[in-house]
Amino acid sequence: MSPSVKVRKESGALWLFFALPALIVYAAFMAVPVINSMRLSFFSGSGYALNNFVGFDNYVKLFSDPETSARFFNAFKNNWEFFGITMLVQNTIGLLFAIILSGKGLKGKGLFRTIIFVPVTLSVLVTGYIWKLILNPQWGALNILLTKVGLGSWALPWLGDPHFALPAITLVSAWQWVGLPTMMFLAGLERIPDELFEAAQIDGAGAWLTFARVKLPLLLPVVGIVSVLTFVGNFNAFDVVYAMEGANGPPAYSTDLMGTFFYRTGIAGQHPVGIPDMGLGAAVATVTFAVLFAGVLLANRLMNSGDVERPRAVEAERGGA
Amino acid sequence: MNKGKSAKIAALAFALSALFAFAAAAQAKVQLTLGSWRADDVAQMTKLLDAFTQTHPNISIKFDPTNPPDYNAALRLQLQSGIGPDLMYARSYDTGVQLFKDGFFADVTDLSGLKKVYSDLARAPWADESGKSFAVPFCAVSHGVYYNVDIFKKLGISVPKTWEDFLADCKKIQDAGITPVANGLADQWDINEVVMMNILPNFIGGPDGRLAYESGKVKFNDAKMVAAFQAMKELAAFCPKGFEALTYNDSNALFVNQKAAMYFDGSWTMASFTDMKFDWSVFAPPPPKGKKGFVTFHPDSGIAMNPATKYPAECKAFLQWLYSDQAAAVVSNTIPTGFFPIASNAAKITDAHADAFLQMTKARPTDVRFVWPKLMSGKPSGYNLLQDGTIAVMTGKKSPQDAADDLQNGLAQWYAPAAAK
Repeated sequence: MSPSVKVRKESGALWLFFALPALIVYAAFMAVPVINSMRLSFFSGSGYALNNFVGFDNYVKLFSDPETSARFFNAFKNNWEFFGITMLVQNTIGLLFAIILSGKGLKGKGLFRTIIFVPVTLSVLVTGYIWKLILNPQWGALNILLTKVGLGSWALPWLGDPHFALPAITLVSAWQWVGLPTMMFLAGLERIPDELFEAAQIDGAGAWLTFARVKLPLLLPVVGIVSVLTFVGNFNAFDVVYAMEGANGPPAYSTDLMGTFFYRTGIAGQHPVGIPDMGLGAAVATVTFAVLFAGVLLANRLMNSGDVERPRAVEAERGGA
Repeated sequence: MNKGKSAKIAALAFALSALFAFAAAAQAKVQLTLGSWRADDVAQMTKLLDAFTQTHPNISIKFDPTNPPDYNAALRLQLQSGIGPDLMYARSYDTGVQLFKDGFFADVTDLSGLKKVYSDLARAPWADESGKSFAVPFCAVSHGVYYNVDIFKKLGISVPKTWEDFLADCKKIQDAGITPVANGLADQWDINEVVMMNILPNFIGGPDGRLAYESGKVKFNDAKMVAAFQAMKELAAFCPKGFEALTYNDSNALFVNQKAAMYFDGSWTMASFTDMKFDWSVFAPPPPKGKKGFVTFHPDSGIAMNPATKYPAECKAFLQWLYSDQAAAVVSNTIPTGFFPIASNAAKITDAHADAFLQMTKARPTDVRFVWPKLMSGKPSGYNLLQDGTIAVMTGKKSPQDAADDLQNGLAQWYAPAAAK
């Protein structure tokens, strides 16, 4: 009796010992900077000389100054649009790819899987630049193609039109990242036992019914995780806009996201001549953090509040991943 | 005994050589750094700084540029944390004045000869309200319209004298199936700085016109400003297909590949127009009929000194050398093509195209870029208002009158003369 208790006690201390290095690294490079950035949001000044305590002034300015708040809410709204289109296009196509790839009897699965995943491994600056060339109104491949097939009137300056610029950028981002949800859905699908499909087949379910009643319910935990990852990724996005449009989110701020707005406010100033306000920038970062935190919390709640099967499935997903 | 003697000699030699080493160290070379936003100019600036070291063997200067859009922020950060360069490029007007007021630029008003070489007007962009200089004026940039001489000849077009002629020429070029004007909107700053502010002095009447706005005598939405926005709207019809999404580099490529006949840009671009397959030149933007023409000749960079430098005497020696008569020829011909020395003792520019640019400023009075002297540093900045207004007018989102009204209303939020009744 007593030796086993002793072992248990030791393993408890051991747990802390093994976690300590990661904890220190996490605290030094994640927790401390985040908390420090929150602290800075209560100060004004520039550069390292942020020593003027101003209370909630930065937040008041962010939400009530006409110029600043207009930019902030515009970026916030654009970010939801960015997220919405990404969910709709990237994750739906990802699911479709996963279902096709998991189908029995498909030849060259490995090849397709690689093709779909390759863009994920490229730098956003590279893919952004390539797509900028493809979408160029003068010599871009897309408009030349449209003109050749007699759709010349559809050959628009995509990245220069406030209505199309953000959707265009979102689609480029979706093109690049679709490999990630595909792989996650594929992993989820391959973990579903074959007996379930056999049973469904015996019950007379077709492809659609099998998908709707068997695959999708069992994939819901993965859908939840993919959504959370997309949400976090999209509200931190900066690079794709910077690469394809610039830090000001042109045309007419139609591609301005929280990331580009933060970069301009806190780090670089309005390009090319603005002077950054680091305190205000820290406030933007803190608000973004709060949005992400609330979103992830809500998603977690939703994922855990389903029927009894679902949490177990989540556990299984975690174990399997 | 023999052994002892040689040991003594060796010891003496050692002591002597140590002494020499010490003396050499006392004469050690000082190395200064020169911060800049001109990352493209490393080769030319190194040449210029080497020429200085030849006359001052104990001082060498390292050119240490930053990515242009990040320069202002990065420099301020460096200065605040005490790791700023000894010497640095200083922006003209407000951006520079702010750093001077914060104590990051040394007062150089009393450098000997400064006032002799630079007129009050030449020093003004790098001086505060009381006339104290915080940087030695270094170079200016000019603006104009590049044009393809071959295309002009082929279509029988001569350089337009008035804005109306210019539009008629544009029409002729367009009818011949060539894009008249290469400029686009995607990068934003270029349509603002090298097109709108390039033609603006012609519409508002040069420096006197600008001063009338700045002093509050006229409002920023008067008929002249509306006419300038109207001109930008007219210009949009002659820009390339899809100009809304064309970048600064795209425009340059259109002109270089002879797809566009004209290209509004600054003098600095001519450095990229070497080995062209066609004959090109430049003309000053034409004024509307019956108005006087101006050229936007903009004070671009001064060189300031860090008050916290360890080597103030050496820094001053460099600044004084920069505008000395001995250095004038070197400076004029090593500063990058398309940048012009401001010093009154500057030598003649030898590059033919650069000289063509300079001749425009001799033929016409000049003014600086409209928003620089007074309208930059408030919120919303006059720079952004002019830029957003110009783009909105060119894309048909705003009327010229609305764009001018928005400029006036935006400035009235913080610029007292604009707000006054």
